[in-house]
Amino acid sequence: MKKKLFSVLVLAVFMSSFMLGGCNLFKSKPSGEESKAANGEKKDELVLAFDSEPEAGFDPTTGWGRYGSPLFQSTLLKRDDKLKIVNDLATSYKVSEDGKVWTVKMREDVKFSDGEPLTAADVVFTFETAINNGSVVDLNGMAKVEAVDDYTVKFTLKEPQSTFVNSLVATGIVPKHAYGKDYAENPIGSGPFQLVQWDKGQQVIVKANPEYYDKKPNFKQITFLFLNEDAAFAAAQAGTVDLAYIPAAFSKQKVKGMRLETIQTVDNRGIVFPFVKSGEVNEAGLPIGNDVTADPAIRHAINIGVDRQALVDGVLEGHGTPAYTSVDGLPWWNSETVIKDADMDSAKKLLSDAGWKDTDGDGILEKGSLKAEFTLYYLANDAIRQSLAISVADMMKPLGINIKLEGGSWDMIAKKMYSNPVLMGWGSHDPHEMYNIYSSESAGIEYYNTGYYQNKTVDEYFEKALSSKSEKEAIEFWKKAQWDGTTGLSAKGDAPWAWLVNINHLYLVKDGLDIGDQRIHVHGHGWPATDNIVDWKWTK
Amino acid sequence: MIPSLKNANKRSPLNLKQRTLFKILISIVFLAIVILGGVLLDEGRIVTNLNERNSAPSLKHLFGTDWLGRDMFTRTVMGLSLSIGVGLIGAIGSTLIALFLGMAAATMGKMADRLISWIIDLFLSVPHLVTLILIAFTLGGGFKGIVIGLTLTHWPSLARVIRAEVMQVRSAEFVQVSQKMGKSRWWIALHHILPHIAPQLLIGFMLLFPHVILHEAAVTFLGLGLSPHEPAIGIILSESMKYLSSGMWWLAFFPGLCLLIVVRTFDQIGENLRVLMTRTHD
Repeated sequence: MKKKLFSVLVLAVFMSSFMLGGCNLFKSKPSGEESKAANGEKKDELVLAFDSEPEAGFDPTTGWGRYGSPLFQSTLLKRDDKLKIVNDLATSYKVSEDGKVWTVKMREDVKFSDGEPLTAADVVFTFETAINNGSVVDLNGMAKVEAVDDYTVKFTLKEPQSTFVNSLVATGIVPKHAYGKDYAENPIGSGPFQLVQWDKGQQVIVKANPEYYDKKPNFKQITFLFLNEDAAFAAAQAGTVDLAYIPAAFSKQKVKGMRLETIQTVDNRGIVFPFVKSGEVNEAGLPIGNDVTADPAIRHAINIGVDRQALVDGVLEGHGTPAYTSVDGLPWWNSETVIKDADMDSAKKLLSDAGWKDTDGDGILEKGSLKAEFTLYYLANDAIRQSLAISVADMMKPLGINIKLEGGSWDMIAKKMYSNPVLMGWGSHDPHEMYNIYSSESAGIEYYNTGYYQNKTVDEYFEKALSSKSEKEAIEFWKKAQWDGTTGLSAKGDAPWAWLVNINHLYLVKDGLDIGDQRIHVHGHGWPATDNIVDWKWTK
Repeated sequence: MIPSLKNANKRSPLNLKQRTLFKILISIVFLAIVILGGVLLDEGRIVTNLNERNSAPSLKHLFGTDWLGRDMFTRTVMGLSLSIGVGLIGAIGSTLIALFLGMAAATMGKMADRLISWIIDLFLSVPHLVTLILIAFTLGGGFKGIVIGLTLTHWPSLARVIRAEVMQVRSAEFVQVSQKMGKSRWWIALHHILPHIAPQLLIGFMLLFPHVILHEAAVTFLGLGLSPHEPAIGIILSESMKYLSSGMWWLAFFPGLCLLIVVRTFDQIGENLRVLMTRTHD
């Protein structure tokens, strides 16, 4: 019986390996042409290896295109390479005196890829659908959207919200006439590309949209392969892809004919601490708060004691930057938030001044009956988070803070995250994210502000930033929320987080492929690189 | 039997029994060293050391270091002793279930026998790695999930053997006589049947052991078991897969080899015990 089973297994393995081999044969065919093309004349096709397949499909009203280019759709506004907001579908936009009414005028020459014109009715339809879908697209601040005439749209907000502009930047416009249940799989839009084929779990093939109104991409066809880290690296080595995302662990190996591009990001990782004392529970009955991390001395000591550069060098092989806030390097980042770290002596002094002493000689500090220890949760299947968690726990041992580790799935972490520190990551081009992570309004809402952080001054700055007329005005208040000289949400102020690193995104790029000036990437490895895909070109 | 004994005497100064005992003793000492090592080795040796990442085996680090600079020798020994611990609990649990069900099937009448045989067939019809993954996953993984999963999946074949043994003993004359003399079922089970199946049980237990350890490693390898920072052998092996393509062979080679040796040692003990037991049993 066992033998039979074994032989069946062997057979299955053989069969599947043949099938996989078959796939490879199939895939290597176009690549043969590619290498020819790369050697000789310019070519107009591109093969990219990414990890994260957008499993929900390509519907902007449910979240597609928030990270990276929406490819198939276009947006009212967009950010340029310097992250300044510029017009896309819009020709101009105006905000009323009270900041509640936004009027957007649009181009009149735009057509969807099926030839139909794009009008205000489509914009209204898109935003109404997005609100009704109740998905990750956060349009809670919007009261109504209406078409003034064929090419003018009026948005009315409940409260003034300067970050509403990001909804206009991130939401691709869908056609009212061609939107249905299967839209996510057959996206029609006014973007630079059209979908040719989507083989779920394998690849997406797109071609240039002839109706596109703006700068046309330099490639007729682009294939996105969805491969895991090993497979993407193997594909790069075999020369079958023009660009492959790779983890830092592979960065030391050279691949012939390809160069390593390391791109700065706000794809950050840090530890979020429960800010309040324990005892309460939230509506779902999950405990809130942690007595140890509610002590500011512990949070500050970890912030000061941790050696961020060592983490970058050790865990990320140097491909990263030390992180001090969730918005490092973005226009609304306050550079005063940078602190001196790896300073064990100051951290020790801070702890002993706050009354933490090792009274029983076990190497762990105590304050009364409270022991300086807590459990740090991390996402188990993410090697970088695991490495960061282990390294930080070991770095804190000499301080006398005992960090126990527990890896788990998000489902498991979600039950623990209000009462235990968690290793999390954020990173977005939308300053509203900072409001989500730090404001008392969003305390305990899903993964936002899990520590129940609250600071009245910070909340006031948030209010002022949101009620500003423009992003420029708001920037001042975003910066002050981080650190205004006396208080703030950064490590200098209340330190509700200990930010650790920004992870550079690494790509192996075929020699001769110019991927333009990459902006500071957001959370997520892969799609953010497509932000400027219309600028990509072959240089030789 | 006797000719083989003579042969054994010719080849070595010890007879077969002594040699078997000797083998068992060595194996036990080896395993004890591994377990003690896991308990006694300093936790400080697996502290991350970002300056000594990915170093190849040397005198300072016998098995090299991993991508966080942790000493692989210490991690391996700790992982093995954890695996042996999990294996011990799992094997004991499985043996107890097998004993209980085997006895129940053979002594509690036709209906019980049918039911239990059906359950055994049911469990044997599915590869138990699959059942194990299912159970461990439902229980949310972790130490508890694995141990319960291992316990609940490894008993069927042993239960079948014990059932057959019990049936054989039960039909023996002295048991029949005992029954006619009015002894209770429990008394017979405890005084007549249990002593007879004890050797089978012990051997079954020893042979379950390597099985359980391998499956524990398999499940943690697949990421369904313990947190990935714990030094379990399955976790170490699955981590090393990521680094094989960068030429860090020592991450997989030494821990894998050690797992093989430990499993083989348990197998040895089981086999030798069987030889010893069946001999004295006869």
